[in-house]
Amino acid sequence: MMDDLERELGRFEDLKHEDDFSDDNSTRGSKRTKPRRMDAGESYKTPRETGFHQSTRICLEHIREALLHHRWQEAAEYMACYPQKLEDTATSQSEQYTELVWRLSTEILHQHPNSKLDDYNSIYERMKHSGIRHYLMICLEHSFHLLLNGHIENAKNQLSAAESWRYGKESGHVRQQQIVKLIQAYRSLLDYMIWCDKRFTHFDTDPSSISNADMHNYFRQASVNLKEILRNPGVWDPFILSYVEMLDFYEDYEEALNVLKNYAYDNTFPPNPNAHVYLYQYLKRHEAPERKLIKVLKILQVLVPSHELMLEYSSLLLQSERKKDTQKALEVVLEMLAFACWKSNLDAWKRLKDIIEKLQLEKNWKDVVSDKMAERKNWWPALHFTSFHFRTDSEENPELVEVKASLTKILCPDLTMKYSAGQESA
Amino acid sequence: MFEANMDEEWTAGYREPCVQCSAVDWGVSDEGRFYCRSCHNVIERTREVVDPTFTPGSSRVSTIGKGSRTKKTERGHQWNICEGFQFILKKQAEALIRLGVSPRLKDEVLCELWRLYLQKSGQAFTDRPLTSFRVNVRGLDSDSESAAEFSGRSVSDTDGETVASSTVLSNAGSSVDPPPCSGSSDAVSYLTAQQLRSSSLMTMRKTLALIHIALVWIREALTLSDLLRLVNEGHVPYVNAFEELPDEMKLEGKDHLIFKVETIPSHESVHKEAQALLHVLQLPPFPPISCQSLLHPALLSLRYLTELNLPDELHLWVCRLMEQAGLEDQTVHTVDPLTLYVLPRYGVQTAALIVVTMKAVFGGVLRQTGEQDDSGNLFNLRRWYKLLQAALIRAQQNKEHDTARKQWRSKRDVSTSRNRKWVAVKKKRTAEQVQICFERLSSRPAGVERIGPSSFRFCWGDEDGADGPGLHHLTLDGVLTLKHGVLTPSHSTYWHPALQQCNYWRCRSHYLKLEPTLPRMFVWLLKLFSFLLDVKPASLYEEVLRVERRVFGSRTPWRKTKTETKTETKTKTKCRPKTKTKTRPETETKTAKTDR
Repeated sequence: MMDDLERELGRFEDLKHEDDFSDDNSTRGSKRTKPRRMDAGESYKTPRETGFHQSTRICLEHIREALLHHRWQEAAEYMACYPQKLEDTATSQSEQYTELVWRLSTEILHQHPNSKLDDYNSIYERMKHSGIRHYLMICLEHSFHLLLNGHIENAKNQLSAAESWRYGKESGHVRQQQIVKLIQAYRSLLDYMIWCDKRFTHFDTDPSSISNADMHNYFRQASVNLKEILRNPGVWDPFILSYVEMLDFYEDYEEALNVLKNYAYDNTFPPNPNAHVYLYQYLKRHEAPERKLIKVLKILQVLVPSHELMLEYSSLLLQSERKKDTQKALEVVLEMLAFACWKSNLDAWKRLKDIIEKLQLEKNWKDVVSDKMAERKNWWPALHFTSFHFRTDSEENPELVEVKASLTKILCPDLTMKYSAGQESA
Repeated sequence: MFEANMDEEWTAGYREPCVQCSAVDWGVSDEGRFYCRSCHNVIERTREVVDPTFTPGSSRVSTIGKGSRTKKTERGHQWNICEGFQFILKKQAEALIRLGVSPRLKDEVLCELWRLYLQKSGQAFTDRPLTSFRVNVRGLDSDSESAAEFSGRSVSDTDGETVASSTVLSNAGSSVDPPPCSGSSDAVSYLTAQQLRSSSLMTMRKTLALIHIALVWIREALTLSDLLRLVNEGHVPYVNAFEELPDEMKLEGKDHLIFKVETIPSHESVHKEAQALLHVLQLPPFPPISCQSLLHPALLSLRYLTELNLPDELHLWVCRLMEQAGLEDQTVHTVDPLTLYVLPRYGVQTAALIVVTMKAVFGGVLRQTGEQDDSGNLFNLRRWYKLLQAALIRAQQNKEHDTARKQWRSKRDVSTSRNRKWVAVKKKRTAEQVQICFERLSSRPAGVERIGPSSFRFCWGDEDGADGPGLHHLTLDGVLTLKHGVLTPSHSTYWHPALQQCNYWRCRSHYLKLEPTLPRMFVWLLKLFSFLLDVKPASLYEEVLRVERRVFGSRTPWRKTKTETKTETKTKTKCRPKTKTKTRPETETKTAKTDR
């Protein structure tokens, strides 16, 4: 927004430098320019800033200065004087000024200590109807604001009204279409919120009660839209969750699973680790077989090797009977431990120990281990097993020292560094 | 389709279900009646009066009154543009009289000037008036007595002033009915005439010029700078003067182009208009501006000296210099056909005089030399500069703040065409709402707070709110010495830039080019006076040169006369005019140098 302001003020800077000496040109014999617009008392003038434009320009400068220096009261005072610019007929960019007034007003309202919700409502309503291009955006912003202040019903009404907006070619424009999608999505979210509210406050076991019917109504409204929305590629986390929750409540498990799977596996959607997390959590909730869980987490591991679910993943792998899975578990945990968040995690190290112990039941465990450690042996010891680490670990987490110490020899047999209290060995 | 949503705004307060279909979906038809959008049932409710305090989106239901079904076709009067201007002039004069100007302004002077103007510009009191597209045109003698017996349909001011336009429709027997809506009858022809002819038709800016001429005639102490400042502060109607037109004179269509202003004209432009008007009006010689009148430099300089906190003693020197420059003669200041109606710029001239005096008294470069003052009685230029600079900066900042806050739009709807009217009304309402919201939030109304009008910008003394301590009582002994028993300024040299006059038709001023080479104190002094008078420093600079030319007698550039004070002319970047003629004065100043 500040860039727009810059552009606006920059334009007027040029105009300002034009009128230097006097009203007439210094070359008096020059041809008179035809007046573009007959303003009373201004005939035959070269294009020059009128007093009105000068006032609004300086006012804008003052508002900008005040905003930049967080002088909200001053900004509000000048903002009261600025709206006359909206009535300017001599400008070709009235939409731009409408946008300017909209954004400046909301900014000041956000920051000024005395602003009330009524002020917001009034400004939003006015600005909404004073231009076409920004109608939807302003509706969206307005409803966000209502939402943040807890007026959910109101917010929903705003969005419903906005959904049915049509204005010739403008509403068919791509930019507007995108905003419409957002509006629909958020309206559904609001429906969900109201549904939640009703569910926890009014839910009766009596299936024919009116409040239940109302609740079901909201569900229906929300789900229609959400289904549509979720077909579009994008990141729809909160919407997915709400939809799935509702579906779950109404025991439409198949649909829920479908939705989650689509969200996670559809290639047209941007890669989103959360999708897999949600799917996993859902499956877990519904006691899916372990193989399925492992399958889901496998992809997650590729996407985010340091995810918090990795520990669970490794335990799942450990529990399985296949040998390959144990090896995989080793790999997973080794990768995890390379990250700062897991580096000193006792559970992770314990898991590693368990894996190693299980592996040791096999004959070729040394090969397996050295195989996995091959790509790591240059930097792993320095990352975990120096005397510095020994010192810090002893201070913070003595139990960890034990676990780590027991693993040094196994993981790094040719270790030259000593994971113990001692000097830095060569 | 667009209206469908805009209707929401109108009907948002109304939530009654339709009697036929029980839906709550109201729209507003073209006539302003409410109708149900699902079953098209029309109800009695109309949207006639829109409550400006209604905020759509709030749950309050506002009562919308039942208005009449058809729009009242108002039968306004037919009026001409010059009648509008006449009314506005009257209002402006009344405002000035309320501020303390002599009542003679309106009845005796302005009225006559207006009549004369109408006659000379051919709009009235002539045999062949300009705007004659209506049926019966009454020709009149140019005698002003017959104005009394002429009773056209003069609209507005019928209180004693019987000036009327002669191109008004005749009372009886006009077979043409006046059109149902009003607006001036000759706006279009007025505008085209204005463009075609050499603008002797009245414009808003010319009203100020006319008033200025009237003020000079009655020798009122208001200079053009003062008048423009009063206009800027809103004490004299100008920007939205058409709001005060009576209801019968409605502005429509192209009228706005004539009466709407968005700029306060500059000093230079109004002066030029006044000059042009004088040529048109061909007035008799003005009442003389003698030494006793307040526009004369003798007394006007006293006012400026007081305003700028300069010692009263300086006035003596100003008067001396005035004599030397030949400016005390009243013929110089009086407008006269013999002098080709040259209208002096009283304020600017006096300011220039003071600047030259200061240069003479304090030395050409205005430097305060030596002599630290312990007694506290001597006037010290540096101290004065510090005080004034602080006050000047404050005043400039306040002026900028006022400019930012100034409100230009009128309460009445102004739109050039019928189609845009609705859009304009909507925009106005939006602007008003936003303004109200922020006025409430900041607890400060928009616009500039109206303070009492004052001729003075600065205030010196010991009271609260003064700009600083007063220095009027201090003496100039620090810069004066006794020479041959006469007090003269200690600085014997006087510096001035090249004084030859530029060719008027080729170039006007070289101030901007010369400014970096001029002494800083001098430039600052120019800026100070320019701020005070609201003129450009360049024009003040030219006036200073003019005064210096008079003082040193170098009116004709190639004849140097002997002068009292020793002059030291700097040869520096001479006027590099855009003309190709060789400037003879160049050689002249060189010889002047050798004189020394």
